[in-house]
Amino acid sequence: MKLHLEGSNVMNSSREKVYSLLTDPRFIAKTLPDAEEVHLIDDTSLEAKIRLRIAVVSTTMKMKMTVSSVRPPSKAAMTAEGAGSGSSLKITSLFELSGDNPTSMNWSADAEVTGVMAGIGSTLLKGFATKKVTEIFSGITKAIEASSD
Amino acid sequence: MVIGTATNPSRSGLEPIFQSSVDEVSRLVGLEKEELEILEDADRAANELLVSEFEKYIERKYNPEILGVLKRNNLMGVPIDKEYGGRGARQLVEALFLERMGQTGMGVITFSDVHQCLGSLAVQDWGNEEQKARYLPGAAKGETVFAYGLTESEAGSDPASLKTSYVRDGAGFRLNGSKYLISNGSIATKMIVFARPEGGTGAPTAFILDTKDKGFTVDMRLEEKIGLFTSDTSMISLEDAFVPAEDLLGAEGKGLSVAYSALLNGRIGIGSGCVGVMEDCLNQVKERATSRVQHGKEIARHQLIQKHIANIESSLEACRWLIYRAALKKDEYERDPKNLGLRADADRLSAVAKYMASRCAFDSADRAVQCFGGFGYSILSPVAKHFLDTRVARIYEGTDEIMELKIASSVLGKQFDAYR
Repeated sequence: MKLHLEGSNVMNSSREKVYSLLTDPRFIAKTLPDAEEVHLIDDTSLEAKIRLRIAVVSTTMKMKMTVSSVRPPSKAAMTAEGAGSGSSLKITSLFELSGDNPTSMNWSADAEVTGVMAGIGSTLLKGFATKKVTEIFSGITKAIEASSD
Repeated sequence: MVIGTATNPSRSGLEPIFQSSVDEVSRLVGLEKEELEILEDADRAANELLVSEFEKYIERKYNPEILGVLKRNNLMGVPIDKEYGGRGARQLVEALFLERMGQTGMGVITFSDVHQCLGSLAVQDWGNEEQKARYLPGAAKGETVFAYGLTESEAGSDPASLKTSYVRDGAGFRLNGSKYLISNGSIATKMIVFARPEGGTGAPTAFILDTKDKGFTVDMRLEEKIGLFTSDTSMISLEDAFVPAEDLLGAEGKGLSVAYSALLNGRIGIGSGCVGVMEDCLNQVKERATSRVQHGKEIARHQLIQKHIANIESSLEACRWLIYRAALKKDEYERDPKNLGLRADADRLSAVAKYMASRCAFDSADRAVQCFGGFGYSILSPVAKHFLDTRVARIYEGTDEIMELKIASSVLGKQFDAYR
């Protein structure tokens, strides 16, 4: 099943700072909610066990994330791929930055879900994904703004 | 932060199948700008409720988010007149609002239908000006939540045999008795309660009871239902519960008239929710069938799955316009309230619409579970809850059997009434 999400966010930090942190897997690792056993593979990739909760049901997925600079300091991409408990997940996302302190970020993400998790349907998955993405970006924004101080 | 999705980008475009309902009604009947705004608010509220409804359903618990989301989107007083702070929607728009909410499930529908169609409209239609001014603004804002205390353990399809009694006591009345299977029963701030004079065979009277009265008790939250988990259902007791004289609703002894007129509103509401359920079943089955592969092809290419889809779609189209027609007839009656012929037509059409929509929704949900296969048998699937919830739609606010008798009576004439 395929999902598409897009959104925008504003951060009180310089564009260069935002870009450098968003493309740093060490920074991403610290902001991932419900991440267990995070380890860096190299300067662009990390692996983590992520606990995904849907209502009272939770599953652990082993995910590999890779960030790449497309056009610094404006455009970057991230892919995340993983599987666990009868489901698999692949996300390709793109970030585009504009402005400079505050910096605006427009993002889009395409996700492909298969297995048991796909069964709950795209309407609900979008709902959960939106909730999760809000949580993730809230964490990223706080962390970026805090590191600017 | 602003998040949108490709199929429902932030704030533009309704859920697609609902959009097609709105477009068609708009083209054939016409919808005003304010009415379209109500439907946009409904669309947003339904999206906001998706996750909490799912989570609470799995926990088998009442969803307290329903009240907050409806309040936030100004949807607690959709049919309440504007002079009392409501949206002033006609029945057709109320039906469309509940259709969209029905896509999230009958739990949300039950809450809304009881508060708005049964409770608020009972006050609006039967209350005096002082009562309307006192209760309806709060109901429209969601500061007051209504429940409807008619059913008893020994008086379901036969409300005329209810046993809850009242006596006059100074400046009001004292009520004693027990009510069963009361939706919103433990969360309501006000309850429309029906009781008959103590000791006699006098006709029931309707009262507006404050649930903070010390004579009102929630005996039990009924959490053992086989579905409808996110709706609050309770058993309540009245022990010398006091109702001031100014909270008598309608004339003494005319309680059944209040009850039956409220049920006319409620039936269109439940039927509308069932249409929404069918829409969601169709959406979910289409998505599942076009993505799941078995025997080397998507299951949507298997003819027996196509048969299920054709049945759900046909039921949906048929029931949608039955509901709209009943709602339009009710609106026509509202404009000419002395016309008893219109009243009878509205009553008949609401019975037909509720009867058909509830049965078709149950059948559609059953087919949807079948199309989901083994996963459909889990309440983690998006269709299992519809299967469990729609079963009650054939029972509450008028069982299938009572609807059949009403419909037959409308064809044959009152002298053939089989349920009196």
